[in-house]
Amino acid sequence: MASPCEVHVAGTDRRTAEHIAAVTANEARRIERKWSRYRDDNIVHAINSAGGRPVRIDDETARMLRYADELNRLSAGRFDVTSGILRKVWRFDGSDRVPSAAAVRALLAKIGWWRVRFEPPYLTLEPGMEIDFGGIGKEYAVDRAAALVRPVHPHCLINFGGDLLALGPRDDGSPWLVGIEPVDGRGHGIVDRIELTVGALATSGDARRFLLKDGRRYGHILDPRTGWPVRGAPRSVTVAAPTCTEAGMLATIALLHGARAERFLESQNVKYWCRRGSERKAPGAD
Amino acid sequence: MQLKENRRRRPGSDTQIAPALAAATCALLGPGTPSAVVAQEQPLPELAPWSIDTAMLYYGESDGRVQDFSLSALARKELKEDGFLTLSFALDTLTGASPSGAAPSILPQTFTRPSGEDSYTVAAGEQPLDDTFQDTRFALAANWQWPVTRLALLDVGVSFSDEYDYTHTGVNARIARDFNNRNTTLSLGAALANDTIDAVGGAPIPLAPMLGTNDLRNRQSGDQSKDVLDLLLGLTQVVNRNTVVQINYSLSSADGYLTDPYKLLSVVDPDTGLPVAGPAGAGVNLHLFESRPESRDKQSVFVLLKRNLNGNVLGASYRHMTDDWGIDSDTVDLRYRFELGGNRYLQPHLRFYSQNAADFYHTVLFAGQPVPQFATADYRLGAFDAVTIGVKFGMDTRRGELSTRLELYQQTGDPDPAARVGALAGLDLYPDLSAIIAQFSYKFGR
Repeated sequence: MASPCEVHVAGTDRRTAEHIAAVTANEARRIERKWSRYRDDNIVHAINSAGGRPVRIDDETARMLRYADELNRLSAGRFDVTSGILRKVWRFDGSDRVPSAAAVRALLAKIGWWRVRFEPPYLTLEPGMEIDFGGIGKEYAVDRAAALVRPVHPHCLINFGGDLLALGPRDDGSPWLVGIEPVDGRGHGIVDRIELTVGALATSGDARRFLLKDGRRYGHILDPRTGWPVRGAPRSVTVAAPTCTEAGMLATIALLHGARAERFLESQNVKYWCRRGSERKAPGAD
Repeated sequence: MQLKENRRRRPGSDTQIAPALAAATCALLGPGTPSAVVAQEQPLPELAPWSIDTAMLYYGESDGRVQDFSLSALARKELKEDGFLTLSFALDTLTGASPSGAAPSILPQTFTRPSGEDSYTVAAGEQPLDDTFQDTRFALAANWQWPVTRLALLDVGVSFSDEYDYTHTGVNARIARDFNNRNTTLSLGAALANDTIDAVGGAPIPLAPMLGTNDLRNRQSGDQSKDVLDLLLGLTQVVNRNTVVQINYSLSSADGYLTDPYKLLSVVDPDTGLPVAGPAGAGVNLHLFESRPESRDKQSVFVLLKRNLNGNVLGASYRHMTDDWGIDSDTVDLRYRFELGGNRYLQPHLRFYSQNAADFYHTVLFAGQPVPQFATADYRLGAFDAVTIGVKFGMDTRRGELSTRLELYQQTGDPDPAARVGALAGLDLYPDLSAIIAQFSYKFGR
């Protein structure tokens, strides 16, 4: 999953702990193999290389696409699994290589969930379009692994690259202590420490990924409706929710609301932690 | 209908989508999808208030030798999380007499005091002690420790002390970094000190003979000074739930005036062991002021094991020190803290120390033989063994912690075997030393 995956287990014997670790690792690998866009032997590759022909999809992928469809509707088009091809022109490497308006416009013709024909069990993309579960697969994997571990031992915390879920408290009833590292990557003290008893925390945003041209900073959160970075997005958003998938999607959609991210999160009635620049804003944590 | 459909508001920033999202997530993840979340920001830990450790210590050597009465206080305040300011203060009052290094004799001997203004006589067979040994010393130190990153602590400090003939100023810094889920700590420390010695009557010229009263021709002018650099590399490892091991390697390098300006060596007849006459007209026997090298490099390795045994704590440590003066020493220190219940504990303490003599240690020098470049008869640079046995009792009170400690120190040494000649053979050339240490301390705050 291109990030460290770990599971913390409290109050059980070594064999059970090793079993839990194996179950978690296997599920993470299974989902990665299935939906990674870096492979050429999976369903995502089959869909993206079908050249306009319908592709028969399995149940789990169909459920994920239904979910993507719902997210697209709920976010008014801000969340879109077909927007991944924007990375062909946007490379957020800290340079000043901002793409031309024409290049972005050309790609927009290949983006839009509304262009997709989804008639389970068949999915048809227009030639040149691609889908990408990169923004959702990791959180989904946490929830799937949690469902497998839950019957074995409830005192676990599953953490896939900072998106995490506590099945329950530690064995002595105390919460897990989760530190949210600052987004600027300098490791300069933990900004927030969250006591997580049960449920999930997911974080979106990465301040290290941006372009800078003519004094203007282009953040890496791209609006699929325009093909351009969302303006005024926080550097990172962390959301608490019962499942990691929900937490991750709320954080991602909040970022897509740009300058109105906090306003969006306030309306959702969830606990959240937003970081902008060096200051920190956490009205949702009151 | 068509019109109404078109006019339906698209979801904006104020639209609540969380319930619909939760329902969709349930459909994605299937039955048993959790619906509970309990997460809250950890309350910022309250900063610890001032805590003040105070202690009274009495150190008394037998036979009217050195006595030290000391008062000390150490105040500590948490300024930010894991950031502490520590201020310490100590006041020592020293009285009594200290062996001058001169050998006893079967005849009474007269010595000129370090000031050169007076003299005293030591009876036959008695250990020559300089009984004007008294001083008041005060020391101040401040340290500031703060976290430089989540896993690293930096500590910087200054120290100062002053007494009648000695002034110390120093700076120190230490960085400690945690690794391996905080089970391993590596630390690196350095301290730099500059000390000034303003000897009573002036520092003697090394190996110059003691002269009579009011004759300071054997003295140097001005103050003496030395610089000391200490470096420390430490590793602390949590071995398991009950065991911690610490290993330190330290290096100390001193340069400058390392001689004790008040120490003498007696020059005796190599056959009879009797004193020989001093410089003409001085009216004293021949005693030379000691001479030490102007540099000393020490290395030491320290290993500490702390182990929790059902709530009681064993602490065992070993230190080996070696230096380029030819001294090697070994220290074994054992403590065992018994928890007595009711927040009280009893801690027996046992310490063994052994060192060999410096290359230039001589109990006496012999008349007619060449005088070595470096020579000392200071018993602290001779070969000796020491044992400390003690016990400490501590308890928590409503407002702090109280502890009291009583220890006995016994030192036995060996004179240079070559010194047992003639009249000296029947004298105690390296008298035993015993001392008592009593401490009472109280810590205000926790």
